[in-house]
Amino acid sequence: MINAVLVMNTQGKPRLTKFYKQVPVEKQQEIIRAIYAVLSSRGENYCNFADASNISGSDNKLVYKHFATLYFIFVVDGAESELAILDLIQVFVETLDRIFKNVCELDIVYNFNKVHTVLDEIVMGGQVVETNSADVMKAVQDIFKLERAV
Amino acid sequence: MALSGMRGLSVFISDVRNCQNKEQERLRVDKELANIRTKFKHEKGLTPYEKKKYVWKMLYIYMLGYDVDFGHMETVALISAPKYAEKQVGNVGGKEFSESLAPDVQKLLISSSCRPLVRKKAALCLLRLYRKNADVVNVEGWSDRMAQLLDERDIGVLTAVMSLLVSLVANNPDGYWNCVSKCVKIIERLTRSQDIPQEYTYYGIPSPWLQVKTMRVLQYFPSIEDPNIRKSLFEVLQRILMGTDVVKNVNKNNASHAVLFEALSLENMTRMLLVADVQESIKRHQAQIITSLKDPDISIRRRSLDLLYGMCDVTNAKDIVEELLQYLTTADFAIREELALKAAILAEKFAPDLSWYVDVILQLIEKAGDFVSDDIWYRVVQFVTNNEDLQAYAAATARDYLDKPAVHETMVKVAGYLLGEYSHLLARRPGCSPREIFPIIHDKFPNVATSTKALLLSAYIKILMHSQPGDPELQKQVLSVFKKYETYLDAEVQQRAIEYFVLSQKGPSMVDIMAEMPKFPERQSALLKKAEDTDGDAAELSATKLRLQQQTSNAVVVVNQHSANGTSHPAPLSSVSSGTRNIDRGFLEQSQVGPQHNDVPVKAAGMVQSLTADLLGDLLAPLAIEAAPASVAATPTTAILPLEEPPVGPADPLALAVLDGNSSSVQPVGSTSDWFNALCKKDSGVLYEDPFIQIGIKGEWRGPQGRVVIFLGNKHTVALTSVRAIVLPPSHLRMQLPPVPELIPPRAQVQCPLDVLSLHASREVPVLDFSYNNSAVTVGSKLRLPVVMSKFLQPAPISSADFVAIWRSLAGPPNKLQEVVRGVNPMLISEMTELFNMFHICVSPGLDPNPNNIVAATTFFSESGATLCLVRVETDPADRTQLRLTVASTDASTTFELKEYIKEQLVDISSITANPATLGFTGPAAALAGLL
Repeated sequence: MINAVLVMNTQGKPRLTKFYKQVPVEKQQEIIRAIYAVLSSRGENYCNFADASNISGSDNKLVYKHFATLYFIFVVDGAESELAILDLIQVFVETLDRIFKNVCELDIVYNFNKVHTVLDEIVMGGQVVETNSADVMKAVQDIFKLERAV
Repeated sequence: MALSGMRGLSVFISDVRNCQNKEQERLRVDKELANIRTKFKHEKGLTPYEKKKYVWKMLYIYMLGYDVDFGHMETVALISAPKYAEKQVGNVGGKEFSESLAPDVQKLLISSSCRPLVRKKAALCLLRLYRKNADVVNVEGWSDRMAQLLDERDIGVLTAVMSLLVSLVANNPDGYWNCVSKCVKIIERLTRSQDIPQEYTYYGIPSPWLQVKTMRVLQYFPSIEDPNIRKSLFEVLQRILMGTDVVKNVNKNNASHAVLFEALSLENMTRMLLVADVQESIKRHQAQIITSLKDPDISIRRRSLDLLYGMCDVTNAKDIVEELLQYLTTADFAIREELALKAAILAEKFAPDLSWYVDVILQLIEKAGDFVSDDIWYRVVQFVTNNEDLQAYAAATARDYLDKPAVHETMVKVAGYLLGEYSHLLARRPGCSPREIFPIIHDKFPNVATSTKALLLSAYIKILMHSQPGDPELQKQVLSVFKKYETYLDAEVQQRAIEYFVLSQKGPSMVDIMAEMPKFPERQSALLKKAEDTDGDAAELSATKLRLQQQTSNAVVVVNQHSANGTSHPAPLSSVSSGTRNIDRGFLEQSQVGPQHNDVPVKAAGMVQSLTADLLGDLLAPLAIEAAPASVAATPTTAILPLEEPPVGPADPLALAVLDGNSSSVQPVGSTSDWFNALCKKDSGVLYEDPFIQIGIKGEWRGPQGRVVIFLGNKHTVALTSVRAIVLPPSHLRMQLPPVPELIPPRAQVQCPLDVLSLHASREVPVLDFSYNNSAVTVGSKLRLPVVMSKFLQPAPISSADFVAIWRSLAGPPNKLQEVVRGVNPMLISEMTELFNMFHICVSPGLDPNPNNIVAATTFFSESGATLCLVRVETDPADRTQLRLTVASTDASTTFELKEYIKEQLVDISSITANPATLGFTGPAAALAGLL
C-alpha cells in the first residue's frame, strides 16, 4: 500500500503531507527530513526509486519525481510496483496541471486544500482509487461546485 | 487560477511564508492556534464556512510540523455535518471503518446496479478491512465472487478489484485457482489493447497499473497446468518483451520516461525470470541489461547485476562473467564485493572447463583483490588440489601473475600456496626451476602482512623439500630466510621459521612431513552459501528475492529454491555440488572446519600451526618431530594432533581458573563512553578493553573519505574464537568492513581496515557490533565508532571581510539557524576555543570585537562536495550556563546538523536530564500549554 504522499520543494519545505497510517507528528517530521536528505543527495540522472527501509519501515521504497522546484514523493511498501506509482505521480501532476492551468509551487501552497481533494480522488486509504485523469478531474470539479454552492 | 479560494486561509499562509525565521513562524502559528481555539469554544457563532476554514488552517499547521492537540471533535462534527462541503473536509482528517461495515461493503461491491465509482471504493474499503481483520472475507464464498468480479469491463473497477485480489491471494493462493484464467484473459486484453478506453492508456500503454497488478497476482501461481492458459500467458509475455524495445525508442520526448521504461522492462523481467518458460526470450535483452550495469543509479546497477546473475547458464556464462570482470575495474565500491562474489560463483557453477575457472578467479583477484574474500581463494585452492590435471596449469598461471609489478596481497597468498605445492610440476619449464621460483616469491615477502609471511614460509619449505636431493644454493638462501625470521616479532612467523629450520635439517623425513596436501573432502561451496546468506540481508540487493522471502506463499518458495540451487542447470564442476544439495549437511561440514580459521594455511603448515595454540607448543615441538615420522607419513595432519593433546590438559585449568573469576560477565576495564569521547577528539586510541581483548582505532581523514583501522588485540594466553565484528552504518555514511578472522591467536593482533565515505551531514554514529568467545563465555558488545561529524570537518581560516560578507548573504533559516542554548557546561572562552579547534572548527580570534563571543569557520566535506560553515557563539559572562549559538552555511541540513552537533558538545548531558523544564519548553505544544 501507499504509506504516505508528500510534496516538498527543493529546499525541503513540505507543501503537502498525507500519511495513510497513524504516524506521530515528530516522526512525520523526522521522516520528511530523512527523505529530503536522501533526495537532495541524488543527482538528476539517478533513477526515481530509492530505498527507504531505514526511513519509514522495512521494505519501504521512495518513488519520486522532480518537477521544477518540487519533489512529488510516494512512500510505498513492497506490495506496490514502483513503476506503477511513478505513472501515478504523473497522473497526479497532470491532473493538478489541468486544474490549476500550468501548476506552479505557489498554486500548491495557497490551494493545498484543493490539492488534498485531488489526491483523495486518486489515492484513498493508501490504495489507488482512480488512474484516469479525466475521471479525477470530473469528480474534483463536482466537489468544487458543491463547495461553492454552500 | 480560476478557482475561488478561502481568503482567510490564503492570508494565513502568506503570513507564515513571510516569517523571517522559525521563531517568528512559531509565534504566528501559536497566535493562529489560540485564535482557532477561542473560536471553537464559542462554537455557536461559527458558520460552516468558518469551521471549514479553521480545520484547513489546522491541517496546514499540522503539516508544518506543529502538534495540534485539539480540534478533533470539531473535525468529527464536520463529518456528520449536513452539507457536503463540510463533510468532505471532515473526511480528510482520517477514516475509521468499523468492522460492522464489512457485509454492507461486500454487498455494494457485488451489486451490479451500483455506479462504478462506488464499487471501486467498496473494493478498496474491503481491502482495508481485510488487512485489519482477515476474517471478514471467507475463502470459499469469495473465490467465486472474485472470479465474477474479474469479468468486469470497467478498468477502474478492475484495478481496484485486482488490488484486493493481490492481498487475498498472498494470504491463500490455493483458494483462488479459479481466478487464474480470468487474470490471463485480462492481461491478454490489455496487451492487445482490445476494448480499452482512451483515457486509460498511459503514453500509449493500456493501463500499466492493471498490467502490473495482474502479473503480480499471476506470480503466485507459478505452475499453470492447463496448457491453453499457459500458452496464452506465454504469448502475452512474449508480446510484452518484444514491445519493450519499441516503446523505449518512441518515447523520446521525455528523458525521465526513458528511465521509466528501461526500469519497467528490467523490473518485469526480474519477476518473470521465475517463470522458467520465459527465460529464452529474456536472453535477447542481455545486451541491454549489460548496458544498464553502467547506469548512473546504483539501484539500477544492482538490479541488472541480479538479473545477469539470474539469467546466467552454461551457454552465456563465459560472456557474462567476462562482462562482469571488465565492469569490476570501473564499478564503484558499494557494489564491488557483491560483483566479485557473484562472478566467482557463476564461474564456479557454469565453468566450461576448469582452467577457465582458475583464470577467472585469478583475474578477479588481480582486478579487485580488496573485494575478494578469503572464501574465494580457498575455493580455488580446493579445486586445484582436488583436480590433478589443473595443478601444473594453475601453478604456471600463478607464477605469471607474480611477475607483474604490482601484485595484490591475496594474489601473493594464492600464488605462494600454489607454487609451494605444485611448482615442482613445472620444474622442467624455462624460468620455473625452484631456484628461479623462490626469488620471485621472496621478492614480495617484505611487503606483505604477517599472516601472508607465515604462509610464504610454508611455501619455501615445500619448494625446498621438492628440490631434494638438493640444490645447495637454494638451500642456503631458504635457510638464511628462516634464520633471519627466527627472531621476528610475530610469534607465528617466528615459530614457523624456527621449526622449518629444524625440519629442513631432517633430510628424508622432511619429505614425509611436508608431503603434498591430501584432497579436500567435498563440501558445499562456501561461496554459494555465502551468496544465499547475503541474498537474505542485503537491503537493496534484490527486491524480488526479498519479497519472496517475506511472503510465505509455498508456491513462490519452491520457485526460489529452484533457481538458487540451480538444479535446472547442468553443473560441470560436479565435484562441487554433487551430493551436497542437503543444506544441513553443508552446515555441518562448515562448522567442522570453522575453528581452523585460515582453512588452507592451517593445513599447509601441517602440525606446526596446530601446536602454536598453546603455550607449551614450543617446548614440545622437537618431541613431536622425533615421534612423528613413523606414523605421520600417511596422514600428516591427523596423526600429529593427538600428540599435542596432553599438554593442553595442564594448560587448560590454569586458563580456566583465570576465567572463572569473572566468567559470568566480562566487564570492560574502563568506561566505553569515556573512550568514545576521547576518540572523538583525536584520531587514534583505545575504543574498548576488557581482560581478554583490546580494541584500538586509528583513523585517517581526508575530505569526505576516511580510513579507520580497527585493531583487535588478544591480551590473553588462550585463542579467542568465534570472533565477529560487524559495522552497522547509519544512512549518511557509506562504510565497509571486510570480514574479520574468526580466530585471534594468543597475544596476537588483527587489523581490520574500514573505509568510510560521508554522504551528507548527520550526527548519528556507526555502531560496531562485536563478539568473541574466550573458551569459557561469549562476550559481546555494541560500541559506537567515533566517526562523528567533526571527522569530516576541516578548519577554514577566513578573513574578517569574507566572513562578514558570507555571514550577511546567508540571511535566515533554514541556512542560518540560531538557538539559545541553556544548560551549557560552564567553561571559559579559552577553553571553548580549544574545544572548537579540537573539532576542527577554526576559531578566528579578534574577528568579533566582543571578547565574550567566538567566531569560527570550518568546511564540512561530503560526497557531494565541501560546504563552508560559519559559527558564532555569544556568551554571557554573567551566566556561563547559557549562550546563543548561530550556525550558517549554504546547505540547510548541514547547518542544522552542525548546530545540533556543537550544541551536544557544549551541553552537559546530565544537567539537561536533571532539568526537564529546559527541554520541555522547546516543544510548541508545551509553549502553548504555557500560554493558556
